Amino acid sequence: MKKSSYILVKLVEVAFIFFVILTVLFFLFRLSPGDPISKMVDPMLTPEDMAHLIEQMGLDRPLWEQYIIYVKNFFTGNFGFSFHYGEQVSTIILDKLKWTILLFTTSTVLAAFVGVFLGKIAAWRKGSSLDNVMSISALVCYTLFIPWFALLLLWILGFKLGLFPLGGVLTPSLWVGNASLFIRILDVLHHLMLPLLTLFIINLGSYLLLMRSSMLSVLREDYIITARAKGLSEKVIRNKHAAQNAALPVITSVGLSLAFSINGGALTEQIFTWPGIGKELIFAVSNNDYPLAQACFLLIALVVLVANLIVDLLYAWLDPRITY
Amino acid sequence: MLNKYSLQRFYKGWQIFIKNPLGKTGVIILVVFMFMAIASFFVPLIGPMYDPMTGIDPDIRVSTGPSLTHWLGTDNVGRDLLAQLLEGAKVAFIVGLSAAFFSIVIGTLVGMVAGYTGGLFDAFLMRTADIIMVLPSLVILLILASLFGQFNIWIIVFIIAIMRWPAVSRVIRSQTLSLKHRPFIEASRVAGASHLRIIFRHIMPNVLPLAFLYMTFRVTAAILVEAALSFLGFGDPSQVSWGMMLQWVWKSGHMFQAPYWLIPPGVCISLLTLAFYMLGRAMDEVLDPRLRKEGQS
Repeated sequence: MKKSSYILVKLVEVAFIFFVILTVLFFLFRLSPGDPISKMVDPMLTPEDMAHLIEQMGLDRPLWEQYIIYVKNFFTGNFGFSFHYGEQVSTIILDKLKWTILLFTTSTVLAAFVGVFLGKIAAWRKGSSLDNVMSISALVCYTLFIPWFALLLLWILGFKLGLFPLGGVLTPSLWVGNASLFIRILDVLHHLMLPLLTLFIINLGSYLLLMRSSMLSVLREDYIITARAKGLSEKVIRNKHAAQNAALPVITSVGLSLAFSINGGALTEQIFTWPGIGKELIFAVSNNDYPLAQACFLLIALVVLVANLIVDLLYAWLDPRITY
Repeated sequence: MLNKYSLQRFYKGWQIFIKNPLGKTGVIILVVFMFMAIASFFVPLIGPMYDPMTGIDPDIRVSTGPSLTHWLGTDNVGRDLLAQLLEGAKVAFIVGLSAAFFSIVIGTLVGMVAGYTGGLFDAFLMRTADIIMVLPSLVILLILASLFGQFNIWIIVFIIAIMRWPAVSRVIRSQTLSLKHRPFIEASRVAGASHLRIIFRHIMPNVLPLAFLYMTFRVTAAILVEAALSFLGFGDPSQVSWGMMLQWVWKSGHMFQAPYWLIPPGVCISLLTLAFYMLGRAMDEVLDPRLRKEGQS
């Protein structure tokens, strides 16, 4: 297969899977107790507004027409109105998305880099006390109960020592006043530290363990023996021959462990009141804000699928042994 | 299935397993938690005050620290925290083991059928597994909870099992593929055995031990997801779980005042999941000789 057709096949696959998820969600909304009108239309609206919204979402039509309108609305970004905010769901979500992206990418990238680096060293010194300490700490990090760990950090670093703010994403007084852009960025970073630290430590454990086991299996390969026989220095063998090849499976795992990190991300956002998609989803679910919950869920599903697609393509591009 | 040979093999595996430091630590932690879970049956017998859910100390109306009558202290309505912690151990074992068991059952069935039939049906089942594998289970449980209201503990267990079978089915499928063309399968086919009989009588006994070895990792995941769900306030309100205890300390605003309430449940969740995870890693080493250190055979 050619590269372009490989990408095309993958794209079609992802589009199809997303369509399945979209359809399942549609039917779940219709299967659950209560009628769909009460789920998609805010009961507090005036009768005229209600009628307009019902008309727009096709809730008075037969099921198959509802489905077509539902799919059409999805592609035009019309998710209805949030019960709680009384605003277009799409505007709310776009507003929250940037905070989630900021927290998620920084923590994942940092954890992946540090995890790969430490995992490399642990595997290289397999069996030493350094390796034991690192592996066991990584195991503990990996199985820590995220909300509890977050609360502990909040209690010690935020409350007892007062090093970091207890929640939110910015200090309102700074943003109302005329503080410079630099001060504002520093303010956001200051708020970012605790949630970032939580997710970083949780993710670090899994990356370290993965890199370690991947590196150990690479070190048994023949080309490592060849490199040794050629008289290359240990450092070159470790960093160039072994680590570069061992890092590849770790990249794929970013896609596979995404589900795990999204669960963790939602919990972390909730505890540090970080205004992201995960916290919004939990809020929407707690307050029966169905349109908002639906949109948050679809967005998360889309992100998961696209991230896996990117990882697939990246892997194929990085590993020359894979043919399309 | 249980002949002398397989018992010997089991004994040898156990020897390797228990020599492994991870396996040993895991077993020790598990035994401690098992005692906690067993103790939870006896604590309410001491007096109605020690019932984890309804027992209220008549003298206490605020959260108090550890004392002689309440070794770990009480929560804000005067319930004994140690009783809740022991009850939580029981619930964690029930949730973890049963969710893992159900996911093993589903995963084994799907894996055997997919591997045995092959073709389009196989492709369909495995693609489904791939989709489910990448979906975040907590998010799915949240959206279902919003649509269908509060779940009881068994529905939560079942949903977790449905979210967790794909990895098992992959392993079982590849095992089935390698068994499919072995002479004894061919022989029974020639002898006229039906597909169902071949799957359940000849393939299942050979893949089942493998499936149960993969159970430990599922236990870890199930305990964590249930705890997270309870922590967010969507757990079964009639069960005292560790996640629920954390939800109470958080929602009642005691997290900065009552470390004796905040710390134990989290330590327990983390330690129990760690123990199951260690067991899984140690079992991997029993299965895969390449992972063992030199000198251990």
